[in-house]
This record gives sequence, C-alpha cells and structure tokens, in this order.
Amino acid sequence: MLMGPLTGFSFIGSVRTYSEISAGVGEALSPLTGVWAPTFSACELAAVFLLPFVAIRMVGGDRESGALKLELQQSLSTASMIAAKTLVLLLGWLIAMLPPISAMLLWRSYGGSVYPPELMTLILGHILNAGLTIGLAAAMASLAEHHATAAILTLSVTVGTWVISLLDWGRAAEYTPAAMVAQFQHGLIRLDVICVVVVLIVLGLGLAAIWMRLGVAVRRRIYESIALAALVAVASFGCSLLRPSWDASEGRRNSLPEPDERVLRQIHGLTIEVHLASEDPRRVDLENRALSKLRRAMPDVRVTYIAATSTGLFEQASAGYGEIWYELGGRRTMSRATTAEAVLESIYAVAQATPPAESEESIFRGHPLAAQPRGAALVFYALWPCVFLACGILIRRSLK
Amino acid sequence: MLFEVQGLSKRFGHTAALTGVGFQVRRGEVLGLIGPNGAGKSTLFECLAGVLPADSGKVLPEGRLIDLLFYIPDGITPWPAQSVLWALNFTLGFLGGDAALRDEVIEQLDLSQLLGQRIGTLSKGQRKRVLLAIGLLTRQPALLIDEPFEGLDLRQARDIATALRTHAARGRTLFLSIHQIGDAARFCDRFVLLNAGRVRGEGTVEELATLAKRDTDDLEEVFLALT
Repeated sequence: MLMGPLTGFSFIGSVRTYSEISAGVGEALSPLTGVWAPTFSACELAAVFLLPFVAIRMVGGDRESGALKLELQQSLSTASMIAAKTLVLLLGWLIAMLPPISAMLLWRSYGGSVYPPELMTLILGHILNAGLTIGLAAAMASLAEHHATAAILTLSVTVGTWVISLLDWGRAAEYTPAAMVAQFQHGLIRLDVICVVVVLIVLGLGLAAIWMRLGVAVRRRIYESIALAALVAVASFGCSLLRPSWDASEGRRNSLPEPDERVLRQIHGLTIEVHLASEDPRRVDLENRALSKLRRAMPDVRVTYIAATSTGLFEQASAGYGEIWYELGGRRTMSRATTAEAVLESIYAVAQATPPAESEESIFRGHPLAAQPRGAALVFYALWPCVFLACGILIRRSLK
Repeated sequence: MLFEVQGLSKRFGHTAALTGVGFQVRRGEVLGLIGPNGAGKSTLFECLAGVLPADSGKVLPEGRLIDLLFYIPDGITPWPAQSVLWALNFTLGFLGGDAALRDEVIEQLDLSQLLGQRIGTLSKGQRKRVLLAIGLLTRQPALLIDEPFEGLDLRQARDIATALRTHAARGRTLFLSIHQIGDAARFCDRFVLLNAGRVRGEGTVEELATLAKRDTDDLEEVFLALT
C-alpha cells in the first residue's frame, strides 16, 4: 500500500522539475534520469526498509512459530522450500512495482516519450536489487533465532554496503546494491554486475537453505556454509572479469559517440597515466565522463592512477599533479582536461588517427516536455492504496 | 518391530540431554514415553523426527525416518495467521496427508466450529486438537506425539484418547510422550521410562514391575522404583 504514495511523491516531483527544466534548457533532457530514476526510487526505499522484513517474516516465521518442525518432515528439500518462498516474494515485488510501472502510462498521457529498452533496464535493476535483498534477508532469517536479530543483521549488512559504496572500496564498490542500481538507472547493463549479483543471491538463498535444516549438526552446516562462500567468492571473481556491457539508454549516456567508438576499436595498446588523487573531483569527473565510456569501446586500455595522497590537497603544487598522459606506440601526449571530447582529442593525437566527422544524427536532442502531473495525485495517493487494500481483503476472504 | 533406537545420545554444551538411549517400537502398539519434566522426552522425539541433530546413535532399519514416523511437537502455534481449515488442507497437500480421513478427523477432534478461525487466536487446548488433527492426517505408520493431553480438560482428554484409540486400532503406531504417569497408564500398551536422559526400563507394566522387583501393577510405583 505504501508503494503508491511513495511512487506518487517521487513521480509528481520529478515531472514538475522536468517540466521546469524543459521550459528553460529544453535540450538533451532524458526521461530516464529526469523521471524514471526518481520515480523508481520508491523501489529502492522499499527494498531497503520494507522488503527485508517481509522476507524475514516469510522465511523465519515458520521457525519461530514451530511450523518448520512440521514442514521439515516431508521429502521436499529446504532448497526447494526456499526457492518457492523466493518466487512468491519476487512475485509480490513485481506487484509492488505496478505503481511505478503505471507511471509510464500517465507520462504517455502527458505526451511524454518512453524508450522501452532503458525503462526495462531500470526495471531489471530493481528486480535484481530485490533479489539481493531477499537473499540477504532469507540467510539472516535462517541464521538467527528471532526476527529482530535477523532484521538487525540484515540492516547492518545493508549499511555496510553503503559504507563500501561511499568509500569507493575498489571493485567491491561497483557491486554494492546502491552502485548496481545506479548503473541500471543510467541505462547501463553490465554482464559482470548481473552475474555477480546472481551469484550473491545464490549465496544468500543457499545459506538460508543450509541453516533451515534443523536436523543437521551445526558443525556440518558451518562447513557447508564455508564451502558455499568459498565457491561464491571464486565465482564472483570470475564473473567480475566479464567485460560485455550494453548501453540501453536512448541518449547513449554511457557511451562515446558511435563514430568515435568505431575509430577507437581500431586502436590497441593505449596507456593512460592519470596524476590525480582518488578523492580529487577532477578524477571523478574524468572517470565518469570519459574513462568509463572509453573502457567500453577500448577494453584493452590500461589506466593507471598516480598520487601520493588521497585528496591531492598538498600535491597541487607538485610538478606533474593534474597531468593526464596518453601513450601509444612510443608516442606520448599530455592533457589536463577531463571531458570526453578532450580525452578523444588526445587519443587521436597520440594514435595519429583521423577523428570522425561530426554527425548531426549522433547528437541526442532529448525529449523536453513541459507538462503538469495531471491526475497523478489521485492515482498514487488514492487509487493504488485502495486497489491494494481491496485485493488484500478479497484474498483474505477467499482463503477463509 | 517397526523401528529400533540404539545408543542415541545428545548433549547441549556440558549437559547430557540423552545418553545411550535404546528401545524398540512395535508395529500397531501404543507406546508411552514417560518421565518427569527435563527427562529428555522432547529431545528424543526431535532427534528421531530429524529436527534436532543427535550426537550419536542409530535407528534400525536404516533408511528415511520421515517415511516411517511423523512428529507432533508440543506448545507450537504453526501458521498463526492461517485458518484451521488452511492448516488441514496444507497437511493434505504439502505434508502428503490422507484426504479420506479429513472429515472423520474433524469430527473426532470436534474442529467443525474452529475451521474458520486463525490458529493464532485459538486456546491452548484448541491448538492441541488442531495439532493432533494434523498428525492423524499424515500417512506415516508411526505418530510421535509430545504431550497429547496437555492443556485439555478431562472431557477433551477422554475424547482425544478415544480418537487416538480408533486410529491405533486400525494399525497406526502411536508413540506418546506423557509426563503424567496416570494418563499414560490408562492409555498405553507398553512404556519406555526415561529419566535424566537415560532409559530406566522398557516394557509392559508387568515387565517393568518384574524389573523393579515390585509386586504391583501401579505404574507410578514402578516408575519411582526404577528411577
């Protein structure tokens, strides 16, 4: 029931903001980041603060009530039982996603543009996020004796992933739920992220199935858990080496222009040496605006970062700080600019390659829309809660 | 013989809950597991049912015990948000119960008025009857029931006893954990006496009296002598 109002609050606010920006700037506006990402943020909130408790209750409830002692006395494995509960939870999650999905219909009614691949990518990201939450909560519910303990453990792990994401702890930070959702919010589908997430979901559900087996000695369950965790660690490492990725965004926001990518694919052996500290905003800029896109076009590019400190505060005066060196085939060139255009210019210079001609077709014009969210308040604050309430009452009556 | 337990032991930390427990369960009998609170009765049942790992011991014949016995714990409130009817249907579906027995069991245990009620709202005695109904619907040849008469008044206890005897008469083996020796004596054919995690005797009242070197048919006296 909360999904309606949560979604409505985000959707209405984002449509108004989008409308104001459309009236002012009017160029290169994408509904993906302007409307859909904020609208589906309700799913992110629900995945952190609602879904875990539903999953804990579903998985741990039988243990607390004693029903598990009855359920274990039949031939179905705990893995099958966990899988069945997971499917039910995912189905419930898909139903909970109906309000944000319905926002698409409202947006279309306002005259807005919908690009299905980027919307489906966003939905996929939130489904994977829900899967991660369910796996984690199921594991904790099976490990802990009481719901409250499971909830504390689940939230602790969630907060831990926020810390990893915030501190940008190497490759691990890319696979936290927050970072994963952010990538899908930008329309980027990375095979390594999907595979690592699936492997982690298997870990959570596997631990849940192992610890549900009350009749198995604790020591054996510990050994099995360690073995599963080791297997998952190896699988995760292997998955993290996968490179394929797809840019599903309409405006190719995760990619360099197509003509440039065609030229870049012909260039091999490029090395980029960046003299910027890890917390220097210019390095973040360079990474987000240029290098992340460059790696998709040139998977074999080697990027090394050189800095004596993490902030660069006391390195500003050092010789060479802020320089970005490009080296290819014995040739070197230096630039301090961090934009994608400047990076491309430097690469073409060091590669002695001819830049492709600029094409008007490759420029994403965006979909500005100055429209008010008519009827959205009624739909999300009244209609959806009533629909969910009515469905709940009908289901309850039918089960009697 | 339906099954035999040999050398079953279970420790909780430094506490030995069960030590070298062994006995036989015969097909079609009503076997009473009697002992005071803390004797290890529930622990024994949970080890046999496979919901608690034993440290050592074995059950003969070797094989899947879940095909042989079904255990009804005491003091649980399974699926509290679901109705009694849901729980019975769940037993038939998920636990492989016998649908042909459903109406009979509902009548025997006087559950007709309770079918629409949520299990979490039932009284202790009502929950006990629902649990017994779940057990009686299952197909395993042996039914292990922890404290079948606990929480029941005299009339309910007699009705339950009648229902259980009906199923026992059809060949169902009942293994009942009872701490009230008087109830056990009225209802069971043979007994396993458990005290402080050890079996102190096994057999009919007469056999136990012989073991205790007592000339009596009072099970309480025999129990006190052996423990």
